[in-house]
Amino acid sequence: MLRKSALLLAIAAGLLAPTGLSAAPDPASKQLKDGATKPGATQESPLVSTEWLEKNLDAKNLRIVEVSVEPGVFERGHIPGAQNVAWHTDLVETVSRDIAGPEKFTALARRLGLDRDTTVVLYGDNNNWFAAWGAWVLAQYGLVDNVKLLDGGRKKWEAEKRPLDTRTAEVAPSSFTAQAPSPKLRARFADVLAVAKKERDEQILDIRSPDEFSGKVIAPAGIQELAIRAGHIPGSVNIPWAKAVNPDGTLKSKEELKALYAAAGIDGSKPIITSCRIGERSSHSWFVLSRILGYDARNYDGSWTEYGNAVGVPVVNLAGTVWGGK
Amino acid sequence: MTGSHPGEVLPLPPRSVSAPGAGRALPVRAALSGLIAAGLAAAVWRLSGEPGGARLALSLVFGALFGFVLQRSRFCFYCQWREFLIGGDPRGMLGILAALAAGVAGYAVVLGAWMPDPSGTRLPPDAHIGPVGPVLILAGLAFGAGMAVSGSCISAHLYRLGEGSPTAPFALLGTGLGFVLGFLSWNPLYLASVSEAPVLWLPRHLGYGLSLALSLALLAALAWPLLRRLPAPQPRASHDPLHAVFVARWPVWLGGLAVGALGTLAYLRVGPLGVTAEIGGRSRQAAGALGLLPDRLEGLDTFRGCATALRDAILTPNGLFIGGLVLAALAAALLAGQFRPALPTRGQVVRGLAGGVLLGWGAMTGLGCSVGTLLSGIMAGAVSGWVFGLAMFAGAAGTLWAGRRAGVLG
Repeated sequence: MLRKSALLLAIAAGLLAPTGLSAAPDPASKQLKDGATKPGATQESPLVSTEWLEKNLDAKNLRIVEVSVEPGVFERGHIPGAQNVAWHTDLVETVSRDIAGPEKFTALARRLGLDRDTTVVLYGDNNNWFAAWGAWVLAQYGLVDNVKLLDGGRKKWEAEKRPLDTRTAEVAPSSFTAQAPSPKLRARFADVLAVAKKERDEQILDIRSPDEFSGKVIAPAGIQELAIRAGHIPGSVNIPWAKAVNPDGTLKSKEELKALYAAAGIDGSKPIITSCRIGERSSHSWFVLSRILGYDARNYDGSWTEYGNAVGVPVVNLAGTVWGGK
Repeated sequence: MTGSHPGEVLPLPPRSVSAPGAGRALPVRAALSGLIAAGLAAAVWRLSGEPGGARLALSLVFGALFGFVLQRSRFCFYCQWREFLIGGDPRGMLGILAALAAGVAGYAVVLGAWMPDPSGTRLPPDAHIGPVGPVLILAGLAFGAGMAVSGSCISAHLYRLGEGSPTAPFALLGTGLGFVLGFLSWNPLYLASVSEAPVLWLPRHLGYGLSLALSLALLAALAWPLLRRLPAPQPRASHDPLHAVFVARWPVWLGGLAVGALGTLAYLRVGPLGVTAEIGGRSRQAAGALGLLPDRLEGLDTFRGCATALRDAILTPNGLFIGGLVLAALAAALLAGQFRPALPTRGQVVRGLAGGVLLGWGAMTGLGCSVGTLLSGIMAGAVSGWVFGLAMFAGAAGTLWAGRRAGVLG
C-alpha cells in the first residue's frame, strides 16, 4: 500500500514539477488522471503499477507487450492493447542457443512498434519471469530506460479484476534497427569461470531453489533440460528469486530489496552475475539488481545447464550427491 | 411425464439400455437430479471464488453442459455409425456432421481473431493439430475397432457411466490400460514414424476463408448421400417443451449444433474439447509410479492434442470437465428415466475391457480420441482430425462386419 502511494506520489510530483505546483498528496490522484497521456512521466521508475497502466491504456506512445510462457493465455484475454510475444520463438534463436539475433530482433521490434522514444510496458504470467527475460533482451539492444515491468504482472492484473481483451491490437510499426547486442548485460561462460577460479573479483547470485543450489536435485521435478553434475558455481550465493517478491506478486520495496541482498553480501560494490538453470528466472533478479537497485549486474543465460555440463570446471556440491552408476 | 409416455423416451430404439420402465417415481428422480445440479453449481461457485479458479470453474461448467448434451441427444460416434450401417438411418451421422460444420465455422471466427496471419510457422495456441502419418491411421483403426468391441467411444462411455451402464466402467478401465500400452509402444513408433510425420494445418496453406470453404464442402459432400436416405418424417411425439428438453431424445442434429457451439466456446475460454487428457495423464502417472514406463517418452510432450503431461495438481481443468460430464449425464438420465444401472454380465466385462484397451491405445498414439483429435481437430482445420476420423469409422465398420460374421458382435 505504502509503495503504491509512494509511486503515485512520485508520478504526480514528476508531472507537477514543470508547472511549479507543489505535489500535495490530496490532488495527486486528479493530477495523475490529467497527465495520464504522458507515459514518459514514469521515466524514473522501471516499474509501473496496474493502476497506472489501466489509466494510461490509451496513451499514444505506449506499447504494452505480454510475454507469457503458457500457450493460449494471451489469446484468451490480455490487457487491452497488449501485443503478444512468444518467449520460445520470438526472443530466442530456435536452432542455436542464443538470444534473438539483430535481424530477428529488428523484425520483432518493428512489428511491435517499439522504438527508443516509446514507453514499453512488459508483463506476463509466472511472476513476470519471461517478461523480465524480455526486458533483459530489449536492454541488450539498447531499449533500457523506456522499458518497464508491470509490477505484479498478469497475476495482479487478474486478481484486481481489471479488464481483459481478446482482440488483436493494431499498432503502427516502428523503424527501429537493432545494432549488435551490447555485451555489457550478459555474462558468458568464461566470465563465470574466471569468478569461480577467483581470477576476477565479482559476485555470482544463484537464484535457484536451495535444493538445486545444494546439489540435492539437478533441476526441479518434471524439467527435461538437465545437467550432468549437480551443485553450484564456486563463490556463488543463493537467494531464490521469490524472496524479492511480495505475496501479491509485486516486487518488494527498494529498501527491503537492498537489505535482502546486502544480507548475502551483495551491496553493489562489486559487479554481479545472476544465474539459474536456463537464465530466465535469473533475469527476474537481474531486473531487480540492475534496474531497481542500479547495481552493475549481468545475467548469465548459460546458467547451470551450461556450467553444470562443462568439463573440467570447479563445482561445489553441498549435498554430497556424486556422479556414478546405480 | 415419463410414466405416461413410456414409448417416447427414446424415439429411436434404445441402445445402451434395455430394461424398460424408469424405476423410481418422477419426484424422487427429479429431486436427485436437482441435487446433482445444485452440487455442480455449488462447486462452480466455490471454484470461481478461488484465486486462479476461473478456468477450473469454467471447465466444470463446459463439462457439465457437454455431458447434458451428449446424454440428451445420445451423441455417440459408434452408435450413429452402426445405426447407419445396419439400420440404414443416417440421422445420427448427419448430427455428427452438423457438429463439425458448426465447430469449423466457430473456430474460424476465433482463430481469425487470435492469429490474423495463419501463414507463418506458428500454430494457434493449444489447438489439436497433430502429426499426420501411418501411426495416426493405425491409431484411428484401433480406436474404431475398440468402439465396435466395447459398444462406443470414450466420451460415450463417460456419459453412459452416468446412465449406469454396466459396460462403461470396464471400458474406461480398459482405456487406462490401453494408454499404458500406448506409452510402452510410443518410443519405437515415434522414432520410426511420428517424428517425421508432418503437422498439417489447412489455414496455413489456404488461409481461413478457403480452409473454411473446403471443410464445409467436404462435410456437405459427406452429407449429400446421407440426406437422400432420410426416413419418412415421424409425427411429433409430444408438444410439451419440458418433455422435449428433459425426457425425449433430442434429434442428433440439435445435439450436434450444441456440440459445435460448445467446442467453439470451450476453445475460446479454456481449451479445445477433449476427454482423454485426464485419463491419459493419470494412467501415465500411475504407470510411472509402478515403474512401467520408459524413462523418457520421446517428443511426446511437444505435440498438440490431449496432452498427457504429468500433473501434480489434484484438480485439473480436464479432470473437472470429465467429472462435470459424468455427473450432468447422471442428472439428465435420472430426470429422463434413463438411469438404469445393471450388474455386468461376463460378456460385458470382457468386451468392455478388450474394447477399452483398443480405445486407450488408439487415443494415446493418436494424441486424442473421437472428441479431442476428430472433433476438435477438424474444427481447428487440422488434417490429422480428418485422417483419424476416416480411419476410425473404417476400423469400426470393419470390426463390426467381421464381428457379425463371426457371430460375436450384434
